[in-house]
Amino acid sequence: MTSETLPYTSYLKEKTGIMSWLFTLDHKRIGLMYLYGIVAFFLVGATLGLLMRFELLNPGKDLVDPHTYNQIFTLHGVIMIFLFIIPSIPAVFGNFFLPLLLGTDDVAFPKLNLLSFWLYVLGAFFALATLIFGDGPADTGWTFYAPYSVKTGTNVTMSVLAAFILGFSSILTGLNFIVTIHRLRTPKMGFNQMPLFAWSLYATSWIQLLATPVIGITLLMIVAERMFGIGLFDPSIGGDPILYQHMFWIYSHPAVYIMALPAMGIVSEILPTFSQRTIFGYKAIAYSSMAIAFIGYFVWGHHMFTSGMSGPAAYIFSILTFLVAIPTSIKVFNWVSTLYKGSIVIEVPLLFMLAFIFNFLIGGLTGLALGALAADVHLHDTYFVVGHFHYVMFGGTGFAFFGALHYWFPKMWGKMYNKTRAYIGFAILFVGFNILYFPMLILGIQGMPRRYYDYLPEFTFLNQVSTVGSWITVTGLIIIIVNLIVSGRNGKKATDNPWNGITLEWQTKSPPPLHNFDKMPTIPERGPYDYPNAKRG
Amino acid sequence: MENNKHEHITSYKEHFSTWLALILLTFMTVFVSVFGADLRTLSVATAMLIATIKATAVAYYFMHLKYEPKIYKAMMAVVLALFAFFMIMITIDYLTR
Repeated sequence: MTSETLPYTSYLKEKTGIMSWLFTLDHKRIGLMYLYGIVAFFLVGATLGLLMRFELLNPGKDLVDPHTYNQIFTLHGVIMIFLFIIPSIPAVFGNFFLPLLLGTDDVAFPKLNLLSFWLYVLGAFFALATLIFGDGPADTGWTFYAPYSVKTGTNVTMSVLAAFILGFSSILTGLNFIVTIHRLRTPKMGFNQMPLFAWSLYATSWIQLLATPVIGITLLMIVAERMFGIGLFDPSIGGDPILYQHMFWIYSHPAVYIMALPAMGIVSEILPTFSQRTIFGYKAIAYSSMAIAFIGYFVWGHHMFTSGMSGPAAYIFSILTFLVAIPTSIKVFNWVSTLYKGSIVIEVPLLFMLAFIFNFLIGGLTGLALGALAADVHLHDTYFVVGHFHYVMFGGTGFAFFGALHYWFPKMWGKMYNKTRAYIGFAILFVGFNILYFPMLILGIQGMPRRYYDYLPEFTFLNQVSTVGSWITVTGLIIIIVNLIVSGRNGKKATDNPWNGITLEWQTKSPPPLHNFDKMPTIPERGPYDYPNAKRG
Repeated sequence: MENNKHEHITSYKEHFSTWLALILLTFMTVFVSVFGADLRTLSVATAMLIATIKATAVAYYFMHLKYEPKIYKAMMAVVLALFAFFMIMITIDYLTR
């Protein structure tokens, strides 16, 4: 009797009722709950972004007043950073697939995992509560820069507490993944037999664990300064606002790698599957994840070149910043080499990954321009930074998120999505994304500052192009999300291994049973990407 | 999975000595804070140094880091080194502004 003929109950049907979801300890269900929450907040953040682009359609007031605009871009930033992009891939796909990729039945601490999720919900509640309580959402930008954040009458304290609570959720997830990777790998799976997504989560988790407490303390210091006027950051009472920027970016630069590294892990999973060949430079990719995580701690000062930081400190940070480009480019060269001579199958997940490489290259290379001291003086706080950041975060991590969703969708729900609609959605999203953000790079070079609700008439055309791009982007997103929802309900039944993948999650049923594997999964002899029909040499 | 659990029985003498050292270091922190006003910036550095020594003593003796494999000691050393780097770079910025 083959395993296909045995009756089984999937994790989706093992237990029923709302309570079986809200208090589940199953890593897959927790991953799904994160997914629904994160996508909901992504849509809220995207709506706020759309409102900003509407306002910028013409010079002067189109839709909202300047104060409201400040609040909108702050809430957009807080939601997109803390509620979408930081938790996105680790909390959803990390939770769902890390135990599957390691061949085990759950994460090391399931109850801690559930606590992480509920802390996420609590943090989200605090972020949204700023809409109702006090004088409305903060208008400081997501960076909460002092001394303005100490003095503004808007609801900074609540926004800051939201980020503080979300930080705890992030720390606990990171801790859980580190212990899971150390302790729960299936027998015979050494560190160098782990899938690269697990490696990227491992590197990410160390950042979550070590860097997040710094932002927690910093944000509490903001609250203390607001309530008691201690004189930490406010120069009028003896504080140092540049100290705030140091402490903020000591976390928030490594946090950029919390956002980017898991996305790189996704690319490293999907490219070999759709090339049906061994990944090029396994160890180089694995260790470069650790190198990025490590070097990422030493470069925070490049956000502060024009803040009044001293020249010597700026030189050191500029040099260190360029070091990050080395492990990042190692990954890109290895990904491209993986495609070379592969048996490439063009499917939607692969297209998302190719788009990731294209977008991330633009984001990364514009980052080098910002890391150069002289260029940064001109480009700092212009739309060039906004363009760069969105190319890395949305063009990189956002595309990887949706690529992963299309890659693992059949495994998560046991259904296959409509591929034609998925192709169309991807194409519209890719075109819209570039029309939305590429003009920002040009606007920045021309000198248009960020975070202004108004602009000079000479910037009108490119702003209008960008706004039209935002409409196209949203159209693509709607097609993608609606297609996945409809397919999840009515899609054709997916096979256990629709992409011919060989990592361990493809050895179990779609969707998997509660305890993941009916029998011990077998590890490929020559590493996790040892495709049997791959061309060698 | 490892099933062999190691139990370590620490002597009262070691516990008491560690506790005494922590108390003395706490007095030292207070002394520097109250009477070390002339140290200016160095008073902060001194307080940080004492706090680091205390935290290391707690981790090493009370939390049994001394019995753990070298990898955990290395992890702790990396964290301390990172923290030192943060402090050094902020100080370089502050002193050369």
